[in-house]
Amino acid sequence: MKLAIFNGSPRNKKSNSKILTEQFLDGYTEICNEPTVVRYLADIKEREQAIKTFLDADTCVIIFPLYTDCMPGIVKDFFEQISGFNINKLKRIGFIVQSGFPESKHSVYLERYLKKLVSRLNCEYIGTVIKGGVEGIQYMPPNMTKKLFTNFRELGKHFASTEKFSYKIMKRLAKPFKLPLILRILLVIAPSGLVNMFWNMQLKQNGAWEKRFDRPFI
Amino acid sequence: MKICILNGDMTTEASHFSDYLRNLSFELNKEHQVDLFALNQMNLHYCIGCWTCWIKTPGRCVHKDDAEQIFRSIINSDFFIFASPVIAGFTSSLLKKITDRLIVLIHPYFKIIYGEAHHRKRYEKYPDFGLIIQHEKDTDEEDLQIIKDIYERTAINFHSKLRFMKQIEKDKIEDIINETCNI
Repeated sequence: MKLAIFNGSPRNKKSNSKILTEQFLDGYTEICNEPTVVRYLADIKEREQAIKTFLDADTCVIIFPLYTDCMPGIVKDFFEQISGFNINKLKRIGFIVQSGFPESKHSVYLERYLKKLVSRLNCEYIGTVIKGGVEGIQYMPPNMTKKLFTNFRELGKHFASTEKFSYKIMKRLAKPFKLPLILRILLVIAPSGLVNMFWNMQLKQNGAWEKRFDRPFI
Repeated sequence: MKICILNGDMTTEASHFSDYLRNLSFELNKEHQVDLFALNQMNLHYCIGCWTCWIKTPGRCVHKDDAEQIFRSIINSDFFIFASPVIAGFTSSLLKKITDRLIVLIHPYFKIIYGEAHHRKRYEKYPDFGLIIQHEKDTDEEDLQIIKDIYERTAINFHSKLRFMKQIEKDKIEDIINETCNI
């Protein structure tokens, strides 16, 4: 299997998608030692190379964050470019969609589009891994990311041996699909300072706390 | 009524789609105030996910480009329209480029809407919006449903509603005007 991974995060090499890709590849390389190419779609200047890599690969995994309920603009741009080619080899394409929302429900609407895109390209769809609650993993202590990273390493390992995403791990990663009732209640009744601690910490660090409710365009 | 139209047509030559929107804008302008933005003639950058607009300069994007005109127009409008030919099964990357940037109008804090986590409002009110598309060669009912569903999700996050999705192959300009005026 000639695997190529496309990182569609606008944050490029500082992205959470990169961290998840590394975990996936750690597991993958435990089983398979064939070289894997990783391309960054935010490197617009290297887009030609990314397209060439896409056309050459047998299996492509495209990983990106959910942006306004959909793929980021740079990923859509890539999709438009690859749609312009007649793909005449049997290619397998899968996706990993991660988001900052705690529940995975937000990403399932896009999954239907991704599946249809692959059929439009005359390729084989190998699934979409959906993971919510990813924002902040760069700042989390190792004990908070241990489970997530283990799952991604296992996902990579399974992928190397079967050429498929493990349904069991996908299901595990997609939890929670909806927010549990207790969390919904907590988000409503808990003090804002607690619920939004992650944002408040950064607003304060940047000296922007006082301006957090600014409305500059009215 | 103030109306903002975002034209995500990527063709650089004259096109039927852009002509359609120009006519729509011309007709609407007779009774309303319309801002029609031809995105392909504007200096627009991709969102880089830096969150400067949420955590460093709240409400303001790190990019100093033409997008500010669009942010101002949308948030001060009574209704706005996303418009684009369908390319690779969805609206154009050009339209998506500016849509990604619209998070500048939203607040990072979470709140519960329909039992889901969403970002809260930054502004007091947000305009409802419509969607105008042009089919590509192989557009089918499934594509149309996918597009509509995704824009309906966008509406939840934008604290607004998708009022219509029109297809220039089927819908007359007069119908869009009537529907827009009844909002």
